[in-house]
Amino acid sequence: MTSAPLLFVDGGWTYLVSIIVVSMTVSVTAICLSTLFGIPVALAIGFTDFPGKRVVTAVINTGMGFPSVVVGLLVLMVLSNSGPLGSLDLAFTPEAMIASQFVLATPVLMSVSLSAIEGVNEPVRDAAYAMGGTRVDVALVVIKEARYGIVTAILAGFGRAISEVGSILIVGGNIVFSDGTSYTRTLTTAITVEARQGRYEVGLVLGVVLVALVLAVNALGSWIRSKGRGRGTP
Amino acid sequence: MTLTATGVSRVFDDTPILKDVSLTVEPGEVLTIVGPSGTGKTTLLRTLACFEPPDAGTIHWHDTDCWGASKADRLAVRRRMSMVFQEPSLFNASVRRNVTYGVRVRRQWRERARHFVRDLTGGSSTPESVRRALETVGLEDAADRNARSLSGGEAQRVAFARAVAVDPAVMFLDEPTSNLDPRNTAVIEAAIDRACDRGVGVLVATHDLHQAERVSDRVGFLFDGELVELTDPATFFDDPDDPRTARFVHGELVYAEGDDDLARAARR
Repeated sequence: MTSAPLLFVDGGWTYLVSIIVVSMTVSVTAICLSTLFGIPVALAIGFTDFPGKRVVTAVINTGMGFPSVVVGLLVLMVLSNSGPLGSLDLAFTPEAMIASQFVLATPVLMSVSLSAIEGVNEPVRDAAYAMGGTRVDVALVVIKEARYGIVTAILAGFGRAISEVGSILIVGGNIVFSDGTSYTRTLTTAITVEARQGRYEVGLVLGVVLVALVLAVNALGSWIRSKGRGRGTP
Repeated sequence: MTLTATGVSRVFDDTPILKDVSLTVEPGEVLTIVGPSGTGKTTLLRTLACFEPPDAGTIHWHDTDCWGASKADRLAVRRRMSMVFQEPSLFNASVRRNVTYGVRVRRQWRERARHFVRDLTGGSSTPESVRRALETVGLEDAADRNARSLSGGEAQRVAFARAVAVDPAVMFLDEPTSNLDPRNTAVIEAAIDRACDRGVGVLVATHDLHQAERVSDRVGFLFDGELVELTDPATFFDDPDDPRTARFVHGELVYAEGDDDLARAARR
Protein backbone atom coordinates (compact mmCIF):
# COMPACT_ATOMS: atom_id res chain seq x y z
CA MET A 1 0.00 0.00 0.00
CA THR A 2 1.46 3.41 -0.97
CA SER A 3 0.58 6.77 0.45
CA ALA A 4 -1.79 8.73 -1.74
CA PRO A 5 -0.50 11.82 -3.52
CA LEU A 6 -2.08 15.16 -2.69
CA LEU A 7 -4.92 16.33 -4.88
CA PHE A 8 -4.30 19.06 -7.47
CA VAL A 9 -0.65 17.91 -7.92
CA ASP A 10 0.70 15.15 -10.13
CA GLY A 11 -1.61 12.14 -10.10
CA GLY A 12 -4.09 13.74 -7.70
CA TRP A 13 -6.98 13.71 -10.09
CA THR A 14 -6.26 10.17 -11.18
CA TYR A 15 -6.34 9.14 -7.53
CA LEU A 16 -9.64 10.94 -6.92
CA VAL A 17 -11.27 9.61 -10.08
CA SER A 18 -10.17 6.03 -9.34
CA ILE A 19 -11.68 6.27 -5.85
CA ILE A 20 -14.98 7.59 -7.24
CA VAL A 21 -15.01 4.83 -9.88
CA VAL A 22 -14.40 2.12 -7.25
CA SER A 23 -17.03 3.62 -4.91
CA MET A 24 -19.67 3.86 -7.64
CA THR A 25 -18.86 0.48 -9.19
CA VAL A 26 -19.07 -1.33 -5.86
CA SER A 27 -22.21 0.47 -4.64
CA VAL A 28 -24.09 0.32 -7.95
CA THR A 29 -23.29 -3.38 -8.40
CA ALA A 30 -24.32 -4.13 -4.80
CA ILE A 31 -27.58 -2.24 -5.18
CA CYS A 32 -28.37 -3.93 -8.50
CA LEU A 33 -27.94 -7.32 -6.82
CA SER A 34 -29.97 -6.14 -3.80
CA THR A 35 -32.76 -5.03 -6.12
CA LEU A 36 -32.78 -8.31 -8.04
CA PHE A 37 -33.00 -10.23 -4.78
CA GLY A 38 -34.87 -7.85 -2.46
CA ILE A 39 -37.79 -6.67 -4.59
CA PRO A 40 -39.07 -10.15 -5.56
CA VAL A 41 -38.74 -11.27 -1.92
CA ALA A 42 -40.57 -8.14 -0.70
CA LEU A 43 -43.31 -8.81 -3.27
CA ALA A 44 -43.61 -12.44 -2.18
CA ILE A 45 -43.88 -11.38 1.48
CA GLY A 46 -46.29 -8.56 0.65
CA PHE A 47 -48.59 -10.81 -1.36
CA THR A 48 -48.80 -13.86 0.83
CA ASP A 49 -50.00 -14.54 4.32
CA PHE A 50 -48.00 -17.18 6.12
CA PRO A 51 -47.33 -18.08 9.74
CA GLY A 52 -44.42 -16.05 11.03
CA LYS A 53 -44.85 -13.21 8.54
CA ARG A 54 -44.62 -10.66 11.35
CA VAL A 55 -41.40 -12.24 12.58
CA VAL A 56 -39.88 -12.17 9.07
CA THR A 57 -40.88 -8.51 8.70
CA ALA A 58 -39.40 -7.72 12.12
CA VAL A 59 -36.14 -9.45 11.15
CA ILE A 60 -35.93 -7.40 7.93
CA ASN A 61 -36.59 -4.19 9.85
CA THR A 62 -33.95 -5.12 12.41
CA GLY A 63 -31.51 -5.74 9.54
CA MET A 64 -31.78 -2.06 8.65
CA GLY A 65 -29.89 -1.16 11.80
CA PHE A 66 -27.40 -4.00 11.70
CA PRO A 67 -23.90 -2.79 12.76
CA SER A 68 -21.79 -2.60 9.62
CA VAL A 69 -18.54 -3.70 11.30
CA VAL A 70 -20.24 -6.90 12.41
CA VAL A 71 -21.39 -7.51 8.83
CA GLY A 72 -17.85 -6.82 7.62
CA LEU A 73 -16.42 -9.25 10.16
CA LEU A 74 -18.88 -12.00 9.21
CA VAL A 75 -18.33 -11.51 5.46
CA LEU A 76 -14.54 -11.56 5.98
CA MET A 77 -14.81 -14.75 8.05
CA VAL A 78 -16.78 -16.40 5.24
CA LEU A 79 -14.43 -15.20 2.50
CA SER A 80 -11.10 -15.58 4.32
CA ASN A 81 -8.77 -18.48 3.46
CA SER A 82 -10.04 -20.54 6.37
CA GLY A 83 -13.72 -19.63 5.70
CA PRO A 84 -16.26 -21.71 3.77
CA LEU A 85 -15.77 -19.62 0.60
CA GLY A 86 -12.02 -19.15 1.10
CA SER A 87 -11.21 -21.07 -2.10
CA LEU A 88 -12.79 -18.27 -4.13
CA ASP A 89 -9.96 -15.98 -2.96
CA LEU A 90 -12.25 -12.98 -2.63
CA ALA A 91 -11.03 -11.43 0.63
CA PHE A 92 -9.74 -7.86 0.18
CA THR A 93 -11.25 -7.47 -3.29
CA PRO A 94 -14.00 -5.20 -4.66
CA GLU A 95 -16.18 -8.35 -4.90
CA ALA A 96 -15.94 -8.79 -1.12
CA MET A 97 -16.98 -5.15 -0.69
CA ILE A 98 -19.95 -5.76 -2.99
CA ALA A 99 -20.94 -8.74 -0.83
CA SER A 100 -20.85 -6.75 2.39
CA GLN A 101 -22.72 -3.80 0.86
CA PHE A 102 -25.31 -6.24 -0.49
CA VAL A 103 -25.85 -7.61 3.03
CA LEU A 104 -26.21 -4.09 4.45
CA ALA A 105 -28.36 -2.55 1.70
CA THR A 106 -30.78 -5.43 1.13
CA PRO A 107 -32.73 -5.07 4.42
CA VAL A 108 -33.12 -1.31 3.82
CA LEU A 109 -34.34 -1.89 0.29
CA MET A 110 -36.67 -4.73 1.31
CA SER A 111 -38.12 -2.92 4.29
CA VAL A 112 -38.95 0.30 2.41
CA SER A 113 -40.33 -1.53 -0.64
CA LEU A 114 -42.34 -3.92 1.56
CA SER A 115 -44.04 -1.02 3.30
CA ALA A 116 -44.76 0.56 -0.11
CA ILE A 117 -46.25 -2.72 -1.38
CA GLU A 118 -48.32 -3.23 1.76
CA GLY A 119 -49.39 0.42 1.58
CA VAL A 120 -51.32 -0.23 -1.63
CA ASN A 121 -54.92 -0.29 -0.47
CA GLU A 122 -56.85 -3.52 -0.39
CA PRO A 123 -59.69 -1.88 -2.41
CA VAL A 124 -57.26 -1.17 -5.27
CA ARG A 125 -56.25 -4.86 -5.31
CA ASP A 126 -59.94 -5.81 -5.17
CA ALA A 127 -60.72 -3.49 -8.07
CA ALA A 128 -58.04 -5.14 -10.23
CA TYR A 129 -59.43 -8.58 -9.36
CA ALA A 130 -63.04 -7.50 -9.89
CA MET A 131 -62.19 -6.21 -13.35
CA GLY A 132 -61.11 -9.70 -14.40
CA GLY A 133 -57.47 -9.55 -13.36
CA THR A 134 -55.54 -12.72 -12.54
CA ARG A 135 -53.16 -12.92 -9.57
CA VAL A 136 -50.37 -11.76 -11.89
CA ASP A 137 -52.47 -8.79 -13.05
CA VAL A 138 -53.22 -7.84 -9.44
CA ALA A 139 -49.48 -8.11 -8.61
CA LEU A 140 -48.63 -5.87 -11.57
CA VAL A 141 -51.17 -3.29 -10.39
CA VAL A 142 -49.66 -3.34 -6.90
CA ILE A 143 -46.12 -2.91 -8.29
CA LYS A 144 -47.31 -0.05 -10.44
CA GLU A 145 -49.12 1.62 -7.54
CA ALA A 146 -46.07 1.16 -5.31
CA ARG A 147 -43.57 2.17 -8.01
CA TYR A 148 -42.52 5.42 -6.36
CA GLY A 149 -42.00 3.66 -3.04
CA ILE A 150 -39.97 0.93 -4.72
CA VAL A 151 -37.70 3.43 -6.47
CA THR A 152 -37.32 5.27 -3.15
CA ALA A 153 -36.33 1.95 -1.56
CA ILE A 154 -33.63 1.38 -4.18
CA LEU A 155 -32.28 4.89 -3.62
CA ALA A 156 -32.34 4.43 0.16
CA GLY A 157 -30.38 1.19 -0.26
CA PHE A 158 -27.88 3.00 -2.48
CA GLY A 159 -27.52 5.74 0.13
CA ARG A 160 -26.75 3.10 2.78
CA ALA A 161 -24.19 1.43 0.47
CA ILE A 162 -22.30 4.49 -0.78
CA SER A 163 -21.87 6.00 2.68
CA GLU A 164 -20.71 2.71 4.22
CA VAL A 165 -17.28 2.64 5.97
CA GLY A 166 -16.82 -0.06 8.62
CA SER A 167 -17.56 -3.25 6.74
CA ILE A 168 -15.80 -2.33 3.48
CA LEU A 169 -12.74 -1.26 5.45
CA ILE A 170 -12.65 -4.74 6.98
CA VAL A 171 -13.42 -6.80 3.85
CA GLY A 172 -11.78 -4.53 1.25
CA GLY A 173 -8.63 -3.56 3.13
CA ASN A 174 -8.55 0.02 1.76
CA ILE A 175 -5.90 -0.88 -0.83
CA VAL A 176 -4.37 1.38 -3.51
CA PHE A 177 -2.11 0.21 -6.34
CA SER A 178 1.55 1.23 -6.47
CA ASP A 179 0.67 3.79 -9.19
CA GLY A 180 -1.52 5.56 -6.66
CA THR A 181 -4.91 4.49 -8.04
CA SER A 182 -7.55 2.76 -5.96
CA TYR A 183 -8.11 -0.98 -5.83
CA THR A 184 -10.45 -1.26 -2.84
CA ARG A 185 -10.30 2.29 -1.53
CA THR A 186 -13.61 4.15 -1.63
CA LEU A 187 -14.54 7.74 -0.86
CA THR A 188 -15.41 6.85 2.73
CA THR A 189 -12.36 4.73 3.49
CA ALA A 190 -10.10 7.28 1.75
CA ILE A 191 -11.45 9.97 4.10
CA THR A 192 -10.46 7.87 7.12
CA VAL A 193 -6.90 7.55 5.74
CA GLU A 194 -6.59 11.25 4.91
CA ALA A 195 -7.91 12.25 8.33
CA ARG A 196 -5.54 9.88 10.10
CA GLN A 197 -2.59 11.31 8.15
CA GLY A 198 -3.61 14.89 8.81
CA ARG A 199 -4.34 15.75 5.15
CA TYR A 200 -7.59 17.41 5.96
CA GLU A 201 -7.93 19.38 2.71
CA VAL A 202 -7.81 16.17 0.66
CA GLY A 203 -10.27 14.56 3.07
CA LEU A 204 -12.55 17.57 2.70
CA VAL A 205 -12.54 17.36 -1.10
CA LEU A 206 -13.40 13.66 -0.88
CA GLY A 207 -16.10 14.51 1.67
CA VAL A 208 -17.60 17.14 -0.62
CA VAL A 209 -17.73 14.64 -3.49
CA LEU A 210 -19.38 12.04 -1.24
CA VAL A 211 -21.91 14.50 0.17
CA ALA A 212 -22.69 15.71 -3.38
CA LEU A 213 -23.35 12.12 -4.43
CA VAL A 214 -25.59 11.43 -1.43
CA LEU A 215 -27.40 14.76 -1.92
CA ALA A 216 -27.99 13.97 -5.59
CA VAL A 217 -29.48 10.59 -4.66
CA ASN A 218 -31.68 12.14 -1.94
CA ALA A 219 -32.82 14.91 -4.28
CA LEU A 220 -33.76 12.28 -6.84
CA GLY A 221 -35.66 10.38 -4.13
CA SER A 222 -37.55 13.51 -3.02
CA TRP A 223 -38.45 14.32 -6.60
CA ILE A 224 -39.76 10.81 -7.18
CA ARG A 225 -41.76 10.89 -3.92
CA SER A 226 -43.31 14.26 -4.82
CA LYS A 227 -44.18 12.91 -8.26
CA GLY A 228 -45.84 9.95 -6.57
CA ARG A 229 -47.94 12.20 -4.36
CA GLY A 230 -49.05 14.25 -7.34
CA ARG A 231 -49.89 13.05 -10.82
CA GLY A 232 -49.44 9.44 -11.82
CA THR A 233 -48.43 8.34 -15.28
CA PRO A 234 -51.19 8.76 -17.82
CA MET B 1 -77.52 -16.20 -19.29
CA THR B 2 -78.42 -16.28 -15.62
CA LEU B 3 -76.38 -16.13 -12.44
CA THR B 4 -77.81 -18.52 -9.88
CA ALA B 5 -76.88 -18.73 -6.22
CA THR B 6 -78.23 -21.76 -4.36
CA GLY B 7 -78.08 -22.10 -0.58
CA VAL B 8 -75.01 -19.88 -0.25
CA SER B 9 -73.58 -19.58 3.27
CA ARG B 10 -70.46 -17.84 4.59
CA VAL B 11 -68.93 -18.12 8.03
CA PHE B 12 -66.19 -15.94 9.53
CA ASP B 13 -64.59 -16.97 12.82
CA ASP B 14 -67.54 -19.27 13.60
CA THR B 15 -69.99 -16.39 13.00
CA PRO B 16 -72.44 -17.01 10.15
CA ILE B 17 -72.46 -14.00 7.81
CA LEU B 18 -74.63 -15.42 5.03
CA LYS B 19 -77.27 -18.04 5.74
CA ASP B 20 -78.56 -20.20 2.93
CA VAL B 21 -79.05 -17.39 0.41
CA SER B 22 -80.61 -18.34 -2.92
CA LEU B 23 -81.28 -15.93 -5.76
CA THR B 24 -80.92 -15.44 -9.50
CA VAL B 25 -79.82 -12.45 -11.53
CA GLU B 26 -81.54 -12.46 -14.90
CA PRO B 27 -80.22 -10.63 -17.98
CA GLY B 28 -81.49 -7.06 -18.25
CA GLU B 29 -82.92 -6.84 -14.73
CA VAL B 30 -81.92 -4.78 -11.71
CA LEU B 31 -82.06 -6.80 -8.53
CA THR B 32 -81.54 -4.66 -5.47
CA ILE B 33 -80.55 -6.06 -2.11
CA VAL B 34 -81.37 -3.73 0.76
CA GLY B 35 -80.66 -4.15 4.42
CA PRO B 36 -79.06 -2.46 7.42
CA SER B 37 -75.30 -1.96 7.61
CA GLY B 38 -73.32 -5.04 8.60
CA THR B 39 -75.99 -7.44 7.45
CA GLY B 40 -73.83 -9.19 4.85
CA LYS B 41 -74.61 -7.28 1.64
CA THR B 42 -70.94 -6.74 0.69
CA THR B 43 -70.07 -10.35 1.56
CA LEU B 44 -72.94 -11.52 -0.65
CA LEU B 45 -71.73 -9.46 -3.60
CA ARG B 46 -68.11 -10.57 -3.15
CA THR B 47 -69.18 -14.19 -2.95
CA LEU B 48 -71.37 -13.94 -6.06
CA ALA B 49 -68.54 -12.14 -7.90
CA CYS B 50 -66.28 -15.14 -7.15
CA PHE B 51 -63.90 -13.30 -4.82
CA GLU B 52 -64.11 -16.09 -2.28
CA PRO B 53 -65.85 -19.47 -2.34
CA PRO B 54 -68.99 -19.98 -0.25
CA ASP B 55 -68.70 -22.27 2.78
CA ALA B 56 -71.85 -24.00 1.62
CA GLY B 57 -74.02 -23.78 -1.50
CA THR B 58 -73.18 -23.18 -5.14
CA ILE B 59 -72.92 -20.32 -7.59
CA HIS B 60 -73.69 -21.13 -11.20
CA TRP B 61 -73.13 -18.99 -14.24
CA HIS B 62 -75.49 -20.55 -16.76
CA ASP B 63 -74.46 -24.22 -16.37
CA THR B 64 -70.94 -23.59 -15.00
CA ASP B 65 -70.47 -24.24 -11.30
CA CYS B 66 -68.08 -21.37 -10.51
CA TRP B 67 -66.19 -23.12 -7.70
CA GLY B 68 -66.45 -26.63 -9.14
CA ALA B 69 -65.00 -25.46 -12.45
CA SER B 70 -61.32 -25.21 -13.40
CA LYS B 71 -59.42 -22.00 -12.69
CA ALA B 72 -59.54 -21.09 -16.38
CA ASP B 73 -63.31 -21.60 -16.55
CA ARG B 74 -63.79 -19.57 -13.38
CA LEU B 75 -61.67 -16.79 -14.85
CA ALA B 76 -63.84 -16.89 -17.98
CA VAL B 77 -66.94 -16.54 -15.76
CA ARG B 78 -65.35 -13.72 -13.76
CA ARG B 79 -64.62 -11.92 -16.99
CA ARG B 80 -68.35 -11.84 -17.75
CA MET B 81 -68.78 -9.89 -14.50
CA SER B 82 -67.67 -6.54 -13.17
CA MET B 83 -68.03 -4.71 -9.90
CA VAL B 84 -68.24 -1.19 -8.52
CA PHE B 85 -67.34 -0.66 -4.88
CA GLN B 86 -68.55 1.90 -2.36
CA GLU B 87 -65.15 3.59 -2.62
CA PRO B 88 -64.11 4.25 -6.22
CA SER B 89 -60.67 2.53 -5.71
CA LEU B 90 -59.14 3.99 -8.84
CA PHE B 91 -55.57 3.35 -9.92
CA ASN B 92 -52.99 6.15 -9.80
CA ALA B 93 -53.20 6.71 -13.55
CA SER B 94 -55.26 8.68 -16.05
CA VAL B 95 -59.01 8.24 -16.33
CA ARG B 96 -58.49 6.56 -19.71
CA ARG B 97 -55.99 4.04 -18.26
CA ASN B 98 -58.42 3.28 -15.44
CA VAL B 99 -61.38 2.71 -17.72
CA THR B 100 -59.29 0.67 -20.16
CA TYR B 101 -57.97 -1.63 -17.40
CA GLY B 102 -60.55 -4.41 -17.75
CA VAL B 103 -60.19 -4.34 -21.53
CA ARG B 104 -56.40 -4.60 -21.21
CA VAL B 105 -56.36 -7.59 -18.87
CA ARG B 106 -58.70 -9.47 -21.19
CA ARG B 107 -56.13 -9.32 -24.00
CA GLN B 108 -53.65 -12.10 -24.68
CA TRP B 109 -50.12 -11.35 -23.39
CA ARG B 110 -48.71 -10.88 -26.88
CA GLU B 111 -51.45 -8.41 -27.72
CA ARG B 112 -50.88 -6.65 -24.40
CA ALA B 113 -47.17 -6.30 -25.18
CA ARG B 114 -48.01 -4.85 -28.60
CA HIS B 115 -50.42 -2.32 -27.06
CA PHE B 116 -47.84 -1.50 -24.37
CA VAL B 117 -45.24 -0.64 -27.01
CA ARG B 118 -47.85 1.35 -28.94
CA ASP B 119 -48.71 3.25 -25.73
CA LEU B 120 -45.04 4.12 -25.21
CA THR B 121 -44.72 5.42 -28.75
CA GLY B 122 -47.94 7.40 -28.42
CA GLY B 123 -49.71 5.41 -31.12
CA SER B 124 -52.47 3.91 -28.97
CA SER B 125 -56.12 4.54 -29.59
CA THR B 126 -58.99 4.38 -27.11
CA PRO B 127 -61.13 1.24 -27.57
CA GLU B 128 -64.70 1.95 -28.68
CA SER B 129 -66.21 0.38 -25.54
CA VAL B 130 -64.08 2.69 -23.36
CA ARG B 131 -65.16 5.75 -25.31
CA ARG B 132 -68.80 4.69 -24.98
CA ALA B 133 -68.41 4.01 -21.25
CA LEU B 134 -66.91 7.46 -20.67
CA GLU B 135 -69.77 9.05 -22.63
CA THR B 136 -72.28 7.10 -20.53
CA VAL B 137 -71.01 8.75 -17.35
CA GLY B 138 -70.41 12.12 -19.01
CA LEU B 139 -66.63 12.12 -18.57
CA GLU B 140 -65.42 11.87 -22.16
CA ASP B 141 -63.56 15.19 -21.76
CA ALA B 142 -61.78 14.02 -18.59
CA ALA B 143 -60.03 11.04 -20.20
CA ASP B 144 -56.54 12.51 -19.85
CA ARG B 145 -56.93 13.75 -16.28
CA ASN B 146 -55.30 11.83 -13.46
CA ALA B 147 -57.90 9.79 -11.61
CA ARG B 148 -56.58 10.96 -8.22
CA SER B 149 -57.39 14.58 -9.12
CA LEU B 150 -61.12 13.90 -9.54
CA SER B 151 -63.91 14.77 -7.11
CA GLY B 152 -65.62 11.89 -5.26
CA GLY B 153 -68.58 11.93 -7.63
CA GLU B 154 -66.43 12.01 -10.74
CA ALA B 155 -64.24 9.22 -9.37
CA GLN B 156 -67.25 6.99 -8.75
CA ARG B 157 -68.48 7.71 -12.29
CA VAL B 158 -65.06 6.62 -13.59
CA ALA B 159 -65.32 3.43 -11.50
CA PHE B 160 -68.72 2.80 -13.07
CA ALA B 161 -67.33 3.46 -16.56
CA ARG B 162 -64.47 1.03 -15.83
CA ALA B 163 -67.03 -1.65 -14.94
CA VAL B 164 -69.21 -0.97 -18.01
CA ALA B 165 -66.31 -0.78 -20.49
CA VAL B 166 -65.69 -4.55 -20.35
CA ASP B 167 -69.19 -5.19 -21.69
CA PRO B 168 -70.17 -7.39 -18.73
CA ALA B 169 -73.14 -9.75 -18.58
CA VAL B 170 -73.59 -9.09 -14.84
CA MET B 171 -72.60 -6.06 -12.79
CA PHE B 172 -72.34 -5.94 -9.01
CA LEU B 173 -72.75 -2.49 -7.49
CA ASP B 174 -71.94 -2.21 -3.80
CA GLU B 175 -73.49 0.98 -2.39
CA PRO B 176 -72.51 2.73 -5.63
CA THR B 177 -74.01 6.11 -4.75
CA SER B 178 -73.86 6.23 -0.97
CA ASN B 179 -71.25 9.02 -0.96
CA LEU B 180 -72.62 10.96 -3.92
CA ASP B 181 -74.72 14.08 -4.36
CA PRO B 182 -78.06 13.87 -6.21
CA ARG B 183 -76.58 14.99 -9.55
CA ASN B 184 -73.90 12.27 -9.60
CA THR B 185 -76.43 9.74 -8.27
CA ALA B 186 -78.72 10.58 -11.20
CA VAL B 187 -75.86 10.00 -13.67
CA ILE B 188 -75.10 6.58 -12.16
CA GLU B 189 -78.77 5.54 -12.06
CA ALA B 190 -79.25 6.58 -15.70
CA ALA B 191 -76.15 4.53 -16.57
CA ILE B 192 -77.63 1.53 -14.71
CA ASP B 193 -80.80 1.90 -16.82
CA ARG B 194 -78.78 1.99 -20.03
CA ALA B 195 -76.77 -1.08 -19.02
CA CYS B 196 -80.01 -2.99 -18.38
CA ASP B 197 -81.38 -1.91 -21.75
CA ARG B 198 -78.36 -3.63 -23.27
CA GLY B 199 -79.22 -6.84 -21.40
CA VAL B 200 -76.80 -6.54 -18.48
CA GLY B 201 -78.05 -8.08 -15.24
CA VAL B 202 -77.36 -5.69 -12.36
CA LEU B 203 -77.21 -6.58 -8.68
CA VAL B 204 -77.18 -3.50 -6.44
CA ALA B 205 -76.55 -3.56 -2.71
CA THR B 206 -77.80 -0.45 -0.96
CA HIS B 207 -79.44 0.81 2.20
CA ASP B 208 -81.12 3.61 0.24
CA LEU B 209 -84.75 2.53 -0.06
CA HIS B 210 -85.61 5.40 -2.40
CA GLN B 211 -82.95 4.26 -4.80
CA ALA B 212 -84.21 0.69 -4.57
CA GLU B 213 -87.69 1.91 -5.46
CA ARG B 214 -86.38 3.96 -8.41
CA VAL B 215 -84.12 1.45 -10.12
CA SER B 216 -85.26 -2.08 -9.21
CA ASP B 217 -87.10 -4.79 -11.09
CA ARG B 218 -86.92 -6.96 -7.97
CA VAL B 219 -85.95 -6.13 -4.41
CA GLY B 220 -84.55 -8.40 -1.72
CA PHE B 221 -84.20 -7.73 2.01
CA LEU B 222 -81.06 -9.17 3.55
CA PHE B 223 -81.28 -9.26 7.31
CA ASP B 224 -78.71 -10.82 9.60
CA GLY B 225 -77.26 -12.75 6.65
CA GLU B 226 -80.62 -14.17 5.63
CA LEU B 227 -82.54 -13.18 2.49
CA VAL B 228 -85.91 -12.80 4.17
CA GLU B 229 -87.76 -11.22 1.23
CA LEU B 230 -87.28 -11.25 -2.54
CA THR B 231 -90.10 -9.87 -4.61
CA ASP B 232 -91.22 -7.12 -7.00
CA PRO B 233 -90.94 -3.51 -5.81
CA ALA B 234 -94.70 -2.97 -5.44
CA THR B 235 -95.11 -5.94 -3.10
CA PHE B 236 -91.85 -5.19 -1.30
CA PHE B 237 -92.79 -1.63 -0.41
CA ASP B 238 -96.57 -2.01 0.03
CA ASP B 239 -97.23 -5.52 1.23
CA PRO B 240 -94.10 -7.48 2.16
CA ASP B 241 -94.43 -11.01 3.54
CA ASP B 242 -91.90 -10.72 6.34
CA PRO B 243 -92.69 -8.39 9.27
CA ARG B 244 -89.01 -7.39 9.53
CA THR B 245 -89.16 -6.16 5.92
CA ALA B 246 -92.24 -4.13 6.73
CA ARG B 247 -90.52 -2.56 9.75
CA PHE B 248 -87.41 -1.72 7.69
CA VAL B 249 -89.51 -0.25 4.86
CA HIS B 250 -91.41 1.90 7.37
CA GLY B 251 -88.19 3.33 8.67
CA GLU B 252 -88.07 1.47 11.95
CA LEU B 253 -84.62 0.68 13.27
CA VAL B 254 -84.12 -3.04 12.91
CA TYR B 255 -81.06 -4.73 14.33
CA ALA B 256 -79.51 -8.04 13.60
CA GLU B 257 -79.80 -10.70 16.30
CA GLY B 258 -76.95 -10.45 18.73
CA ASP B 259 -76.33 -6.81 17.88
CA ASP B 260 -77.04 -5.99 21.53
CA ASP B 261 -74.33 -3.34 21.76
CA LEU B 262 -75.89 -1.46 18.85
CA ALA B 263 -79.36 -1.77 20.34
CA ARG B 264 -78.15 -0.57 23.74
CA ALA B 265 -76.27 2.37 22.21
CA ALA B 266 -79.36 3.39 20.23
CA ARG B 267 -81.57 3.30 23.33
CA ARG B 268 -79.25 5.62 25.29
